Amino acid sequence: MSNASIEKLHLITLVGPPNSGKTTLFNQLSGKNFKTVNYPGSTVEYSTSTIQSKYGLAAEILDSPGIISLNPNSPDEEVSINSLYNHPLFGSPHLLIATVDASQISRHLLLAKQLIESGFDIIIALTMNDILAKRGFEVDENKLSELLGCTVVSFDGRTGAGLEKLLSCVRNKLEFESTYQSITPNKIFENISKEKLLNLYKEIEEIEKNVIVQLPDLKENKLGLANKQLKILNPTLKYGNNRPDALTMKIDKYLLHRRWGLLFFFLIMSFTFTSILWIADPFMGFIDEIFGYLSLSASTLFGQTWYGDLIADGIISGTGSVLVFLPQILILFLILGLLEDSGYLARGAMLIDKPLSKIGLNGKSFVPMLSGFACAIPAMLAARTISNRRERMLTIFIIPLMSCSARLPVYALLIAFLTPADKAWMAGIALAVIYILSVLGSLLVAAVINKFNKRLIRTEDNSSFILELPTYRQPKLKVVIRNSIENVKQYIFRAGPIILILSIVIWSLTYFPNYSPKINSTGLSEIEINQMVKAERLSTSYAADLGKVIQPVMSPLGMDWRIGVSLIAAFAAREVFVSSLALIFRVTDESNLQNSILFAMHDAKNEETGKPLFTTSTIIGLIVFFIFAMQCLSTVAVSKKETGGWRIPILQIIIFTSTAYILTFITVNVLKFVGFN
Amino acid sequence: MKTASELNFGERAIIFDIDHTHPSFRRLLEIGFTPGQEIQLVNSSVFNDPLAFSLRGTLIAIRKHEADCIILS
Repeated sequence: MSNASIEKLHLITLVGPPNSGKTTLFNQLSGKNFKTVNYPGSTVEYSTSTIQSKYGLAAEILDSPGIISLNPNSPDEEVSINSLYNHPLFGSPHLLIATVDASQISRHLLLAKQLIESGFDIIIALTMNDILAKRGFEVDENKLSELLGCTVVSFDGRTGAGLEKLLSCVRNKLEFESTYQSITPNKIFENISKEKLLNLYKEIEEIEKNVIVQLPDLKENKLGLANKQLKILNPTLKYGNNRPDALTMKIDKYLLHRRWGLLFFFLIMSFTFTSILWIADPFMGFIDEIFGYLSLSASTLFGQTWYGDLIADGIISGTGSVLVFLPQILILFLILGLLEDSGYLARGAMLIDKPLSKIGLNGKSFVPMLSGFACAIPAMLAARTISNRRERMLTIFIIPLMSCSARLPVYALLIAFLTPADKAWMAGIALAVIYILSVLGSLLVAAVINKFNKRLIRTEDNSSFILELPTYRQPKLKVVIRNSIENVKQYIFRAGPIILILSIVIWSLTYFPNYSPKINSTGLSEIEINQMVKAERLSTSYAADLGKVIQPVMSPLGMDWRIGVSLIAAFAAREVFVSSLALIFRVTDESNLQNSILFAMHDAKNEETGKPLFTTSTIIGLIVFFIFAMQCLSTVAVSKKETGGWRIPILQIIIFTSTAYILTFITVNVLKFVGFN
Repeated sequence: MKTASELNFGERAIIFDIDHTHPSFRRLLEIGFTPGQEIQLVNSSVFNDPLAFSLRGTLIAIRKHEADCIILS
């Protein structure tokens, strides 16, 4: 949608505290056609959409990040709050819809009241009335509307009841407003004093007392009984509205148990990771086959021409090597989405806040680190929830060390080389060891950086962990699936072009300039001729020229330029390492890519020494390299964007890559010294 | 003076004041820890920090040093 058409429409911003049902309302209003925007110069993501046409109201709606008050507590909150006044991309909203959880009314009215006092034009959408009803109470909408001086409409997120009424109020407001000049809201709540805040709460508590009414069947005797059971100490709160959800408390008795809580935590985490590997596997095989088929059809269609080779090898196999991981990424997003929607992730963050705070991280680093196992890019974006800047920087710093899914094909190939094919459990153990090493490595790096170099990541804020533990609820599967697909789409658009361009570049480097070499073909079969041509083409290619330059760096590791070129290629995206090896070691059999690469690897000789190139020591060395090295271009780009400069990404490249090189050198040579080839 | 970090499990108390010299005091007030409110310590992490309090009908996890600035009556 162009900017001109946005300007014509009215802009309605949804605003509310976290877990107030804001996004549910947004989903109901927008239907399926929302998009996420991330405007330049900020780190805050917005969902935006037009209201579904069936409601007959032409307006743009904006879902802003959840805020607790108009006084910002972190740079991100500041951006969110400022954009309520004037959004850099969308301008000032014509109207705000503030969501208020009826069961949390005393806490959620704080923001609503601040918005009204600042001069915003707002409509209050009262959510979660069913939770309040379960406790035997309801909110007197009219009374609340009268006391606040703004329109109040009840809205049920699950059934959508109340939406029509809300929209007709919005319609009235927008039509009415067009004849009046709207007031510019004031920023009166920044660094609000304690007294002012307490007065605000007094007013709110007064309102609360007046608007919360008992449902008819609970009046008289039952309420007295309920209050007696709750042993309420506070005489001003006569009604039983101040107890958290009973089921949530019961579940927390187990999940936050002082001894077993951590056990459940590890069980849930291990389930998450094993299911990513298991569930994704058949889908990955399916995608792999599709690309194998496409590549084969392309080469039969175009024959032995340079463009046929480019399309089959460069483009189709290149992009295929990335898209093959989409099922894993989708499933990780799905599980994370389900965990988050159920309310557990906040508990996970609470459980490991203490150990993480010891090494300069925060309990809120937990979710970003967890996402890092799928992909560092969404993980770095997830770090935005950490309010302390130093902790957020340190979290982003170590995220590239989490073993992302792009490393999986590399490890799978290298482990397959080391372990016998009939003993799958050995490969499983090896992979588990690699994952554990990656977690330990990242924690160690965080600890070292936190301890020895306070200046590496400078800035000192108040380290704080204040987090609402939301009521457990059944996750909304439809919404979670939709958001996961949206995330995967973003991943494709972000990483896709880089992988595509790079595949073409590597292909070109290995194909030109001597793309049609002359060889002595007497007495050779067609397959042998084909292989001779490929070998000759590669050894006279630009890639070989480049390889000779990096040979001195590779020699101490017991490797030659061909691995060097693949490692350089892997700096753009790690998974390219596998396809690059396939291209360089002239793998021809398309139907079983992995076995033919393994076969070629067993055959390969070091061009300098003439000894076998891939040995136990060099393979383990390569695994060590991939655990530590900072290799992904998109990660570097996102790291730069999220940290607001080149400082962190450059430090990441230097520290992680030099550590990787030194550790690989030590690993290879120690292994050789103790007799492992 | 007793603070919220000294509560026993399941123990309820009424907030008397919030120490305004603590850097987190404003956020604690904003999230609902205001004088006169009843709180109850309902859960803690395995490491006894952070602590989860029941407050105004919800559960809020805060660190021990933040609970320290919630003064009880």
